Amino acid sequence: METFRTAIELLSVFVLPTLIVGFPLYGLYKGVPVYEEFVEGAKEGFDVAVMIIPYLVAILFAIGMFRASGAMEFLVEGLRPVLSLINIPPEVLPMGIIRPLTGSGSAGIVVDLINQYGEDSLIVKIAATMFGSTETTFYVIAVYFGAVNIKKTRHAVPAGLIADFFAMILAVYVVQLLFA
Amino acid sequence: MLNYIWAGLIMFSLVFALATDAREIVEDRYRNDEALAVTLEFPERYAPDARRQPVNVRIEPEVYQQHYDTDEAPAESYEATFLQTRDGDQVRFSPDASLPEPLNTIREFTSGSDNELQARVASAQTNGQTIPATIVFDEVRFVKMTAIAQAAFDFADTAVNIIIGLIGALALWLGLLRIAEKAGLVAVIVKLVRPILRPLFPGVPKDHPALGVIALNLSANMLGLGNAATPLGIKAMEELQKLNQSDDTATDDMVMLLAMNTASVQLVPPVLLVAIMGLQINQLIFSIIIVTGCSLIVAIIAARLLSKMRGYRESDPNRPKKAAPEIEDGVDAKASDSSQSN
Repeated sequence: METFRTAIELLSVFVLPTLIVGFPLYGLYKGVPVYEEFVEGAKEGFDVAVMIIPYLVAILFAIGMFRASGAMEFLVEGLRPVLSLINIPPEVLPMGIIRPLTGSGSAGIVVDLINQYGEDSLIVKIAATMFGSTETTFYVIAVYFGAVNIKKTRHAVPAGLIADFFAMILAVYVVQLLFA
Repeated sequence: MLNYIWAGLIMFSLVFALATDAREIVEDRYRNDEALAVTLEFPERYAPDARRQPVNVRIEPEVYQQHYDTDEAPAESYEATFLQTRDGDQVRFSPDASLPEPLNTIREFTSGSDNELQARVASAQTNGQTIPATIVFDEVRFVKMTAIAQAAFDFADTAVNIIIGLIGALALWLGLLRIAEKAGLVAVIVKLVRPILRPLFPGVPKDHPALGVIALNLSANMLGLGNAATPLGIKAMEELQKLNQSDDTATDDMVMLLAMNTASVQLVPPVLLVAIMGLQINQLIFSIIIVTGCSLIVAIIAARLLSKMRGYRESDPNRPKKAAPEIEDGVDAKASDSSQSN
């Protein structure tokens, strides 16, 4: 495991410099006017970013309100009995709800759980695996679709949420299997 | 679906905020207008003439817990300033005091940008060095209602800040990719990944650069390179949009790319998680890889199956021309832009 991690880490350290240097170098070799083409491409960056703003504002302010409203306390109380039935510790439920909505919010939950239960606890391991295994789906939808002005997202939300939901449940059982 | 989730988030925040506020009013959680017994300790003797003087506020844990009906306990004593004003005596807690609930909420709600919790001194025998007193905090009502309105503005700000932070990385990658495209490098990548990616993105022609950018995006995602993955994903979406007959409706391929991004295999855990967990993360890498590997498969199957469902199949902007009359509807709808939505 340790060697695997080192190898992957080494790879992820070298990938970026290789690409950033490699693309222009290869372009130069192929006779591309690299500087001119770079600037031409980079020009788009600002416009694309500005195009995303309305989409991200729409998504984030709704999520922000939901988080600020105290909804979490109600949901956790309501779902607690259901969760204990299927052997999922209710402490990790806020993570399950918040994760597709906000990255910083769910990171905050991991920190809270560490303070409460300690780094070595099963709860923290489950929550951290949940965090590492899923994405802030709504943020990704806003940014990726916003960049190309796609408003009608069709089955993107259900597909993303199905994957998130599955990953959350699986995280609970995999961690319990490996560590309990 | 997004329409309903979005409206739902907003509506439910109002409902939950109202419910929470109503509960707090019924419980009188903040004990509005009720005096809390404390002890004021003046480092030197109480000076009757001083307009402001330092003071330590001691709150007995039992008194506090009974007063607010809570398990939390206050610190032994809090640094504060004793103020004599025209409206009576005041105690202002030091802004960096770490307060128990509900005092912390009271501070957040009532103090301005100075972050000083203030209380009116209801009764005190202003004489000597250690004085028993009672203090009353400002009234607190409708915390959550105020909070959701504030959150709406805060997060609108956050959104713009996130995007501004993205501009640089976006420009960098769009520039690099332009070079790669002109140099024929993207075409090389396309050839390499075609056997794996083509079945997942059937709408992309054989030699289209979209496949190459998608491959770069997915690999960056796997390696946890957030600041490369997002710009590459955006570029991949742009390439897919070129193949889209509609201006505002996602194609099956776009949804597939999105699903694969939200459920991507994580060989390297997210930077944020590594920062939080430290070395403990080593134990979790294996479980994260298992979970993400499975969820990637689920995401691919879900995106594929959902695209076959009747409603989603009919809203596909790149539907084959067989259904001729409906296609014309589609073109009309496109012309009149976003008059209808799913």
